[in-house]
Amino acid sequence: MIDAFPHLLAGLDFRILPEQIMNGLFVGAIYALIALGYTMVYGVLRLINFAHGEVYMLGAYVALFVSYNLGFGPNGHATTSSVANLFLMLVICMVVCALIGVIIERFAYRPMRNASRTSALITAIGVSLFLQYCGMLFLPISPPPSIDEKVNPFRGTKVVTLIPAPAAFNEKIGQMQPLADKADKAYADYMTAHTGADEFNLPPEGQALKDAKQTADGGVLDAQNAANSKSVSVNIRYGDLIILCTSIVLMLLLTYLVMFTKRGRAMRAVSHDFDSAALMGINVNHIITFTFVLGSSLAGAGAMMQATFKGTAITTLFGVLPGVKAFVAAVLGGIGNIPGAVLGGLLMGVAETMVTWAGYSRWSDAVAFVILIGVLLLRPGGLLGSDKVEKV
Amino acid sequence: MNDYQQRLVILAALYVTLAVSLNLINGITGQFSIGHAAFYQIGAYSAGYISHRWITELGHSPPRILWLFGMLLAGAAFAAVAGLIVGLPSLRLKGDYLAIVTLGFGEIIRIAVQNTDALGGAYALQQIPKIYPIWLFWILAITCIAVTRNLIKTARGLTFLAVREDEIASQAMGVNVTKVKVTAFVLGSAFAGAAGALLAHYEGDITPGMFAMDTSFIILTMVVLGGTGSITGSIFAALFLFYLPEYLRGMKTADGSALAVSGATVVASLLMVLIAVVCLKKILDSHWGDPRRRGAAYAAVVVASLVLVRVLVPIVGLFKPLSVMQVPTDQLRMVIFAVSLIVIMLLRPQGIFAHHEFSWTWLKRVFHRGDGPRTEIAS
Repeated sequence: MIDAFPHLLAGLDFRILPEQIMNGLFVGAIYALIALGYTMVYGVLRLINFAHGEVYMLGAYVALFVSYNLGFGPNGHATTSSVANLFLMLVICMVVCALIGVIIERFAYRPMRNASRTSALITAIGVSLFLQYCGMLFLPISPPPSIDEKVNPFRGTKVVTLIPAPAAFNEKIGQMQPLADKADKAYADYMTAHTGADEFNLPPEGQALKDAKQTADGGVLDAQNAANSKSVSVNIRYGDLIILCTSIVLMLLLTYLVMFTKRGRAMRAVSHDFDSAALMGINVNHIITFTFVLGSSLAGAGAMMQATFKGTAITTLFGVLPGVKAFVAAVLGGIGNIPGAVLGGLLMGVAETMVTWAGYSRWSDAVAFVILIGVLLLRPGGLLGSDKVEKV
Repeated sequence: MNDYQQRLVILAALYVTLAVSLNLINGITGQFSIGHAAFYQIGAYSAGYISHRWITELGHSPPRILWLFGMLLAGAAFAAVAGLIVGLPSLRLKGDYLAIVTLGFGEIIRIAVQNTDALGGAYALQQIPKIYPIWLFWILAITCIAVTRNLIKTARGLTFLAVREDEIASQAMGVNVTKVKVTAFVLGSAFAGAAGALLAHYEGDITPGMFAMDTSFIILTMVVLGGTGSITGSIFAALFLFYLPEYLRGMKTADGSALAVSGATVVASLLMVLIAVVCLKKILDSHWGDPRRRGAAYAAVVVASLVLVRVLVPIVGLFKPLSVMQVPTDQLRMVIFAVSLIVIMLLRPQGIFAHHEFSWTWLKRVFHRGDGPRTEIAS
């Protein structure tokens, strides 16, 4: 099978596969944060909250403006940053996004509660378009790196070697390195001895030393390249690690809130059966507001991290594609199912980077929709969702 | 007629075709497709590519009008096949799931075209011969209206309405639900494809950006605003929503430059709409008084909000950046679409015309106050 398609495998570099998978997880963590908002709102209201992507977009703008106020604006003078700055941005983003989510629910979705689901969906599309295009009138465009990189005190990359090169290669480098150092030193000594000598027009003995140095250095470089081509390592940016860790912490917090608090239990009851929950004395309006607070604040956190650590350009269309992809992730995991959204988000991120890795980067946006259609046709309930067919 | 007026007349016909054909799927059959631009795009690109590739090789031998007619059929055929492909999964999905699949299908088509170099990739499919007799555009629109209108008058068409009202009940009554849904998709997308074919031969160059998600949403707004299920509504809404931005764009100040309003005016108007909608919704839900008094209350709210906006503009203008900012009126296009979508959904979810259609007997009834058949279809 594989032999039949050598041209498909020819361009694949399996040594960068682990790194690509890690990158997929970092991208997927953000999708998972957004997907949680979709899935919780769908679980409670049975509504695809199209405006969720726009809450995410506004979160990025909040992060941008907070960073301006911290002195990282176009005319900013701040040069160093600290964890406190990042934390402040994160918290303000989450709070403001929660507020926006609640306002959208109060003014657009609550009046539609008893209308048909199609009407509610069209309202959601309307809100989404409104925020996109009205924002376009009032909000600036911030080209990448959208938020000043100096905000992030942890820049740089960590190299983790998974499979080191065979010892023979290192030995060879070890043998060649002293020779190269020696040649370098000889040449440097010659140059200090003959100050003012033209580097490109040396007398024969100088030229001989220069050639020897170049050959030795080239040999070491070749040996290093040979060793690198046999080793597998992963480059991880610290910013990406922060994304992953923060996402995990937020998801654990969410799990605690939903599974182990009274309000979380009420939320699960409402998503299970709206009317019965109301009859049992649960204030459904409060629970729906609570759901929007949770979902929107997670989107805000995702937006802040995406804008700060990835430096994506901030426009009012910032949330459209991530929003749609996160929705697909929620469907993939089983909409209404919280662990499903996380799983779906991570899978979606990995699938996307895999497509890029395979050399079809221009198609990476289409993958989400192909997955969506595949899931809906083969397993409409999603990976972790129930198979229960919707009854009329 | 100058070029600009010609353009308005031509594009209006295309939008009417698109709105009515989407109404066939969304309003009359009760499916929920929000990716109509995909079929429009398939029609435009298939017809455009055939023309671009072969018309010169044929050396203009066929009469151009016949060629265009053939391309129209080709665009319709390609889009119909696509409609069949999307229609088939619609058997398993309903409501919002179907909506998101159609949206995804639209995006897949757009990305596929963007990555196909033979179709001009992300730039444009260029040098399509320009053939655009205006009457053909309107013949297409009228054909689309006539087919849809006559369809729901036939026994076969009533099955479409039955599927909309209750799928399970209509199945029990012997309606082939599968066939009805697929027919609706194929028919609706064929008309959209034909419109696309004409667009390609009118514009000469087509880009994937012309068929992005917001085009789908504009068509959807037209259907929803007019009333899902009402052909009359779709036509009026398509014309209204198409001409409104053009009217705004055409507005000039005294010195001939494009008209711009201040940011304060925009914000004040949005606040006014918000307040007016909340008040109207309260009256609507309260079942207060008799119809005449309620009508008076609606009128009072509208008048009060028009006064309110006058008061609000200077107040909002106290916030300096807003009063300094100038917004060209043509940028308000999508904002107006979005606001009208939300307002219509909040106040009249069934759309302006609801399920009503224009009819002569209705006109007679209005003027003579006599008895006549109601215009509502199968409610």
